[in-house]
Parts: sequence; structure tokens; C-alpha cells
Amino acid sequence: MTYEEFADTRLAPLLRYAVMLTGDPHQAQDLVQETMVRVQLNWRRVACADSPERYVRRMLTNQYVDWRRGSWVRRVLLRGEPDASVPALTDHAQSAVDRDQIWSWLSRLPRRQRAALVLRYYEDLPDVEIADVLGCAVGTVRSSISRALATLRAEYVEA
Amino acid sequence: MIEDDLRAAFVRHEPMTPSTGPLRAAIDRVAATRRRRRQRFQAAGVTLAVLAALGVGVPQLRPNRPVDGPALSGQPADVPSEALNVLLLGVDGFGEQPSYRLADSVLLVHIPADRSRPYLISLPRDLGVSIPGREVEKLNSAFFTGAGEPRPDLDAGYDLTRRVVADLTGVRVDAGAVLTFAGLRRITDAVDGVEVCLPKEVRSWHTRRTFPAGCQRLDGAASVDLLRQRRYLPDGAFDRDRNAQRYVTGLIRAVSAKDVLSNPVRLAALLSAPGKGLAVDDDGLPLTKLVAVLPELDSVDPVGLSLPVGEPVDDRTLLPLDPKLGRAFLDALREDRLAQWVEQHPERVNRVR
Repeated sequence: MTYEEFADTRLAPLLRYAVMLTGDPHQAQDLVQETMVRVQLNWRRVACADSPERYVRRMLTNQYVDWRRGSWVRRVLLRGEPDASVPALTDHAQSAVDRDQIWSWLSRLPRRQRAALVLRYYEDLPDVEIADVLGCAVGTVRSSISRALATLRAEYVEA
Repeated sequence: MIEDDLRAAFVRHEPMTPSTGPLRAAIDRVAATRRRRRQRFQAAGVTLAVLAALGVGVPQLRPNRPVDGPALSGQPADVPSEALNVLLLGVDGFGEQPSYRLADSVLLVHIPADRSRPYLISLPRDLGVSIPGREVEKLNSAFFTGAGEPRPDLDAGYDLTRRVVADLTGVRVDAGAVLTFAGLRRITDAVDGVEVCLPKEVRSWHTRRTFPAGCQRLDGAASVDLLRQRRYLPDGAFDRDRNAQRYVTGLIRAVSAKDVLSNPVRLAALLSAPGKGLAVDDDGLPLTKLVAVLPELDSVDPVGLSLPVGEPVDDRTLLPLDPKLGRAFLDALREDRLAQWVEQHPERVNRVR
């Protein structure tokens, strides 16, 4: 597979995944850009992986979770808070606004926990693969997901 | 329940995803820029590593330079007069475990303000240092911590090591370079081999090759072999550091003897030699400025020194700074008084020729 072929088919799903991780289209673009630049520069190594797709998802997730090491966050911080002028495209019913509270609560979770939630409930990956992406044990995946769900449940009760 | 709400929330926000067209173009653009910058970096890096950093024998190439004598050696006004420090890292792991690299050779090249002669200061790889973000660890692991996983990054490994060395010594690191085994091999071959003078025979753990005592010309592969040796050496990593200093001394001579600096064709060949095996930092001090400083050196024969360290404490293998000499040495380095320190501690000078 060439880089071009990979980008043709995988860029859109990666970008969707990044939107779910960051909750912000601009940050998602920055995150995907930084990851894909490195993918392109090191394409031979990526192509050697058993599954380039999984390899790149792991790169992107690491980049997101480990914000101190990555350079993309610095750019994001310069821009300040997530852009309020780009609201989520939803219907205008009040119930939708209520339901979107869960989206804003997500942003308060630790990055690793949020990544685990996205991988399970958006990407529908089995726990074993989530562990592979996050580079931790399966037990750790389960405990961070249950901790994240507990946090969200507590928000529900308060709200 | 909440799981379903989550799934729904994710799906509901899918339309937020921007289109991929502009992003793809931006990726290509940034990648192209970075690729170009990387190539420039590599070219500049060889110059740094081979000539500039090591205080190459530029005086020999400038026959018109006034001979010593206080009346004649006035400093030109445009040359910065402060001391310079250049950090050279030799890293291992090339082609073996690509994700695990240690900087086993850490060499600080100090060029004093009076431009008398370069000092090669080896920092032991087992020295205990505090690494930002971690506890006290061995100096050689700073590179690995910085380089990261899964894709090790020479520049990032260098950056963290540079910070650690700057914290440790208190001196400013003006420039530096990272050399892998492959880069070392290609540089050596580009100058047709380097003469290294060993006080004692060295036997290779890796290839069973024997390097006899005395001076010998080594090609690239043999140089790498020699500089990897630690196990059979009586003083282990310290002897390896000394061999690295001997190699650098020979490299300086090789480059100056061959008129590499004055011959554009040879220089260009040398510039492209190490390829990907080298990354370089010339942010602090641009290469051109550093080269401009070199003709001011009175002598190109370096003084080989090692940071004085004590015995390991507890059962750990971390080496502490020598309780008596360590601080004094670092003070001398910081205050640019190494010549005086060497006079007081002649037994601390490594034989490099």
C-alpha cells in the first residue's frame, strides 16, 4: 500500500475519530495533520506494520493522550478555548440541547478515559484492541471505562 | 442508558467532522517542508560534527595567520569572545532495537574564550542526573526518555539530553549533534579513515577483532566497532569514553590534513556523508558563526578530560559526582578556567595521542 492509497481510504475515518477525541473540529484537524505528517515522513515503517490502520490509530491516540510530548497542543493553546462559533450540528429541539450535555461532560474527563470511551462506544472495538491502541492491559481499559462512566453518571445525578 | 446516550452523542456529532480535502493538502505541504528542513539539518550537521564542533585544524589552512605572540594575536572585533560549548551524542541501537536508543557517549566540546585549544569532556553514561519528568536516572537514559516511542526521534532525544547536561554543568550549550553508528561509519569513510592511537590493545566483544596498541588507521566499520567496546576494557565505560576522545582527536587531524575545508568538492562530499545517521542542533549558534570562530584557535590538539565521579552509593549503579573534585571541575568549566584546573590536576588528563 502507498501513502496515497492509505490517505484515500483512511483520512476521513481518522478525522472523525479525532473529532470524537477532541470534541472540536479545529483541534481534530491539528491532531490529524500532525499525525499524518509523521505518517508520510515515515511511511516505510508504517507500511511494515501488521495493520497500518491500527498503527496510525495508535500514533494518533498517543499524540492526543500524551499532550506534553506532542507539539500540536501548543498551537491549540495559542488559539485558546474551543471555538464557540462552530456549534455542533444538531436539531434545535430543547431535548437535543439537554442530550448534548453529555458531550460537554466528556471534555472534562482525563484524555485517556475519553479515548477509551470513544474506542468502545464509537469505534466499537473489543477491549483487547482498545488495550492495544492505548498500550495498556485489558484490565486497565475496563477500569478506566468504568471510572469514566461513573463520572458521567454522577454528572447525570447532579444535573 | 448512559452507554446508549454516549453512542448517540458520538453519532450526532459526526457531521461536525470537517472535509478532508484541505487537510490533505496541508499535510502534504507540512511534510514537504519538514522533509526539506531535515535534509538541510543533516547537511549542516556533518559540518558541525566534523569540523566545527571539534575545532578542526583551521589554523593550518590559514598560513597567513600571525604566529603566536601577544603583540600579534589581537582578537578581531567581529568574533564573539565568550567560551563555546558543543554537545556531541553518540547513540546506539541502530538497526537492532530501533525504539530503544541510549546516548552512551556524551561528549562536551569546550572552546575557551581565549581560543587556546579545544577541551573534550566526557560525561559518564552512568552518571546519576535528574531528568525532567522522571526521578534521578542515568545520563544515557535521558536520550531514550526524550526520543520517545513508538517512533524514536533523534531531535527530541537530543533536546532532553541537552537540557539535562545544561542543568548539570551550568553551562550554555551552543550547538550540538547526534551521531548514530551508521553516521559515524559514513563520516569516517568520507575522510578515508581515521588514525586512532591506543595505549593498550583492545579486543572486540562484537567482532573478535583485535586493535593493537599504538597508532592505526581505522575505516568506518572498524571505528564503530572500536567505539562500541566496553566489556573487555579494564575501566569499562570510562575507557570507552577515552577511546571516543582518541577517535575525535584523529578525526580532527584527518580532516585538517586532507584540506577538506579548503576544497569545495571534498567538503561537499563530506557534507552528504552521514545522511540519516545524524541530527543536529544549530539553533543557538548558527554554523557559519561557529566556523568563523575556529580560525582563532591557537592549537587544534584537544585536551581530553572526564567529569570526575565517585563510587556508586547503595546497591544502585548510578555514579555520583566526585565529592571533592566534581564541583571544582564544574566551577572551572563554568568560569572558563579549565587550563588552570588541568595544571593543578595533570593526572586527570586522558592521553589522546
